[in-house]
Amino acid sequence: MTRHLFHRTILGLVVLTATTTVGCSTRWIDVTPSPANREHPVAQSILNDERVPLVMDGFYMTQNGAPQNPSTEVEHRILNTVQETRLFSTLIPFGGNVASLGDKVVTARITFDETIDSHSGSTAWKGFVIGASMFLLSPVIDLDYDYAAEASLELGRWDGQIKRYTARSAGTVHYTVFAATPTMIGELKGQVTEACLTDLMDQLIQDTSFYTASSAPLPDSPIVSVTVKARKPLPSSASPSVVPVSTTPAP
Amino acid sequence: MPFLARTLTTLALMLLMTTTTLHAADISPKITVGTQEVGLSVGYMLPHRLTEDHTTKQQGPAFMPYWMMTLTDPIGNSWYRGQISLGAEMVYIQFQEPILTHGVGFAPKIKYTFVALDRIRPYAEFAGGPFWTDLAGKIPEESSEFNFVLMAGFGASYFLTDQVALNVGYRFQHISNAGTSYPNIGLNASLPYGGFSFYF
Repeated sequence: MTRHLFHRTILGLVVLTATTTVGCSTRWIDVTPSPANREHPVAQSILNDERVPLVMDGFYMTQNGAPQNPSTEVEHRILNTVQETRLFSTLIPFGGNVASLGDKVVTARITFDETIDSHSGSTAWKGFVIGASMFLLSPVIDLDYDYAAEASLELGRWDGQIKRYTARSAGTVHYTVFAATPTMIGELKGQVTEACLTDLMDQLIQDTSFYTASSAPLPDSPIVSVTVKARKPLPSSASPSVVPVSTTPAP
Repeated sequence: MPFLARTLTTLALMLLMTTTTLHAADISPKITVGTQEVGLSVGYMLPHRLTEDHTTKQQGPAFMPYWMMTLTDPIGNSWYRGQISLGAEMVYIQFQEPILTHGVGFAPKIKYTFVALDRIRPYAEFAGGPFWTDLAGKIPEESSEFNFVLMAGFGASYFLTDQVALNVGYRFQHISNAGTSYPNIGLNASLPYGGFSFYF
């Protein structure tokens, strides 16, 4: 009896080693909506001289509904995505110097809501079952980690008109115990954020004409201060060039 | 005991060598889902004779290398806020009393680590698995070499850096053969231990 039990244990350990080392350490990520399934990538054109600067006016983050310290990493990622559309001439991050910009400026307020669900309860139970099975069930029991992002972009034109854009994306990483790694969470967040921002930029580009310099005159507001400064040099190129605006990065 | 003392001293010196750049002020370890932990615990087994049938005073050093995988983000928002990790450990016990014998086991292990105190992290753990020992047959409590070991206990980790922690803890340990042969009175013991962990 003892010999049989000993043999079974050895056999179990061999199976454990084999299953965990030969192709059973798997993980995959599902993201909705998938950026790869975009049917019609949006593309518009804008004259170079018609482009105006974009100034970050506010950036707010929440996680599972709780306010968080703004992440410069997320802010830079959003700004880079906007920059890649080539819709605006310059992008000034939150707190940047705006003194040298012209009068026609678009201000941006961004809200980025993250929702994280690591399925702690079911993961704990599954972990207990996996441990009780001496890890033999680890290749067939998947663990899940959910992440969703909702980005809201509020753009204010120089004449006071405001437009709001909202995009949402969600994803789940499915993994087995031996495939878990901290980088998979980063990969999930990266893919979900990318899908969310791509959707947001598609919406933004459809309003390209709304943000051209000639789309609205400066408001007739009373002068409240006078600034004396050096005269700006004239642009070197007299002929305006056309800039393509799209969500695909410039070559 | 001198062997145990030498082992613990060696472990302490290894730790000091590997943590030469400590920054005591800013240590707030970020243990996320998928973070792995490997470590070694060393302790000394002290017997508990819980019934009149228990007569053996088994004791000796125990060595427990282990691996753990963090499965969850911190759960809860109060003092009990913590994370669950799953892993396994090897158990080697050198029974120095009553007869110089040995025991080797493999035990899947689940651990709940309290994270509210930041760099000092108490934990509770449970482990159990097969255990072989040649002490069986030489004592009245055990008749078969193949047994099972069950361990439950608690401890605390003190993070020296984001990745290295010192651990101290206590376990209650039970060894028996689950009725696969008789007599099967079983062995019970306390196992205070110390060790270190490396997170990656």
